[in-house]
Amino acid sequence: MIPLKFVLVDLRRHWVGSLVIILLIAGATALGVAVNLQERALRLGSARAAERFDLVVGAAGSETQLVLSSVFLQPSPLTLLPGSALAKLADDPRVAMAAPVGFGDSFNGLPVVGTIAAFVTDDGRVGLSEGRVFETVAEAVIGAKVDLALGDEVKPLHGTAGEGGHTHTELKYQVVGRMGETGTPWDRAILVPIEGVWRIHHMGDGHDADEHGHAAHDRTGEASEAERGPAEMMERIGPPWTNPQGVPAIIVKARTIADAYRLRNEYRRDQTLGVFPAEVLTRLFSTLGDVRTVLAAIAFATQGLVAAAVILVSVVHLAQRRRQLAVLRALGAPRAALFGLVWFEILALVVSGVAIGVVLGWGGAKIFASWVSDASGIVSPVVLTWEDGRLALGLLAVAAIIAVVPAMMAYRQPTAIALRS
Amino acid sequence: MTAVSALLRDVSVRVRGLPEPVIDVPDLAIATGEHLAVTGPSGAGKTTLLNILTGLERPVSGAVLWDGIDIARLSEAKRDTWRAKQVGIIMQDFNLFPGLSALDNVLLPRQLRVPRLGNDARERARHLLEQVGLNRHDQRVETMSRGEMQRVAVARALQAQPAIIVADEPTASLDDTSAKRITDLLIGLSTSSAATLIVVTHDQTLARAMHRVVSLQRGRIVGSRTAPT
Repeated sequence: MIPLKFVLVDLRRHWVGSLVIILLIAGATALGVAVNLQERALRLGSARAAERFDLVVGAAGSETQLVLSSVFLQPSPLTLLPGSALAKLADDPRVAMAAPVGFGDSFNGLPVVGTIAAFVTDDGRVGLSEGRVFETVAEAVIGAKVDLALGDEVKPLHGTAGEGGHTHTELKYQVVGRMGETGTPWDRAILVPIEGVWRIHHMGDGHDADEHGHAAHDRTGEASEAERGPAEMMERIGPPWTNPQGVPAIIVKARTIADAYRLRNEYRRDQTLGVFPAEVLTRLFSTLGDVRTVLAAIAFATQGLVAAAVILVSVVHLAQRRRQLAVLRALGAPRAALFGLVWFEILALVVSGVAIGVVLGWGGAKIFASWVSDASGIVSPVVLTWEDGRLALGLLAVAAIIAVVPAMMAYRQPTAIALRS
Repeated sequence: MTAVSALLRDVSVRVRGLPEPVIDVPDLAIATGEHLAVTGPSGAGKTTLLNILTGLERPVSGAVLWDGIDIARLSEAKRDTWRAKQVGIIMQDFNLFPGLSALDNVLLPRQLRVPRLGNDARERARHLLEQVGLNRHDQRVETMSRGEMQRVAVARALQAQPAIIVADEPTASLDDTSAKRITDLLIGLSTSSAATLIVVTHDQTLARAMHRVVSLQRGRIVGSRTAPT
């Protein structure tokens, strides 16, 4: 048997070479692992973000942009859908929930999104982590990661500060609830009643004046600001709307899957666009998949180069220890022991390298994911799976085969000649 | 007359490119328990002869019989096994393994051969280290003096209780006192274990302490003298 103590002493004696081998292997492994992990994390993270969005209906335009804006809250000026589309969807018997999402405003860099209470709780399926859902037009619910407390005031800014927007002075919201964490960009959003967004943009509030029992109500909302008293802030919000205004996107939950497909086809007309975010994401990821293929090829080529470097280093290293091995043999070590010794030492280095590499790759992917999450709010779950295990095992198997070369050289070297060297 | 332990018959070793054989020994007998010194100028083929005797090298022709077994005809693996059991080797520059203790150095060759070291092997190693006058068994060999190192090598050579002890210039790199001590140890230990001792040496003190001295020149035995008893 190979005495472990001897192996350790031997590796320590050749620590520079050993370290170089370990680092080379760790680097190559880390690269491969990180590419895999990151791609998977991004895919999982965005799929998770899209989970609540069965069907998104918007005005005709770019499908990708519609998904990026509605699911990932990426700011971009979208053409508005006419309010009639919202009313029609809300009344459609195949629709379980039609939630308008109105964006364009921000507060401290966080998007202020107008929607309905049912969307906040996913139609009663998810609870809030604290507080309650907005009940009047002047209330807001914040995402899990928004740095505000219940009771704080939100004064939306048109656009974002960076774009030189102006603060809306017409309306301020009071935070009344906080959503649970979703790992999506919505964790950094402030959700307000869609009526508020409409009103701020002087589009009326979707409810006819009569509805509020206000004879002199002005649809533009501008004049009404002065007239409104606190009591008026208690007015009804949410569907049904008698006079809904334009919205950039509507999130639709259909009653059945078949309904969802029918609705999507119906809304893929000249003026409107119906998309399944999952579908758009799949397409996006097939593009990303090509990038991954390239990265994986680079990682693979790197591993090949590292394998070559490891062979080179171990052969050079072996030449230096010809004498040592010959002495062992002269003293009575069988040839199989020399083979085993060389093979085992190389494999020990490879195992350490691969282990360190997996940890480094995982750490790297984690860091990258947290950077992505900081930038976009998408939490990409970095998880090691059996696939990574296979990659590591594959590397070890290749190394085990490669290590046979120097081990065989040790096995075959003539003792007497090596002793003289 | 003691029993013949080794018998070399018509042994010759040739190296490509040299017209003359490196070793050409038509007949050499070594008795069991004999102490034999091999002397001769550099390049006379002393080490090659030693390699032939220990099976590290195979002659192109001839027979190397040890107790009737022709080790020149054995397979590589069988020769390794035979050598591990029968031969203890001591080299000029010790060839100990730095980083390991004296005890681990003594045990290393056996460790590489058997799945698990028994307690008796450890006991024997400690006993041998005591015999060569080393008490600090856990001392790392690289911290020892040259004389001490060679004593560890002697203990290592004796670990497997070999019937043949072979030493290649065991005293050449030692000071006189250490050389004297190694000479005494080699003779004392091989006598007490009834082992055959073969040394290659320039050291006249060591050579004189042997039963017989053969001198080698250009691969041939040119002289043999027996020490007066």
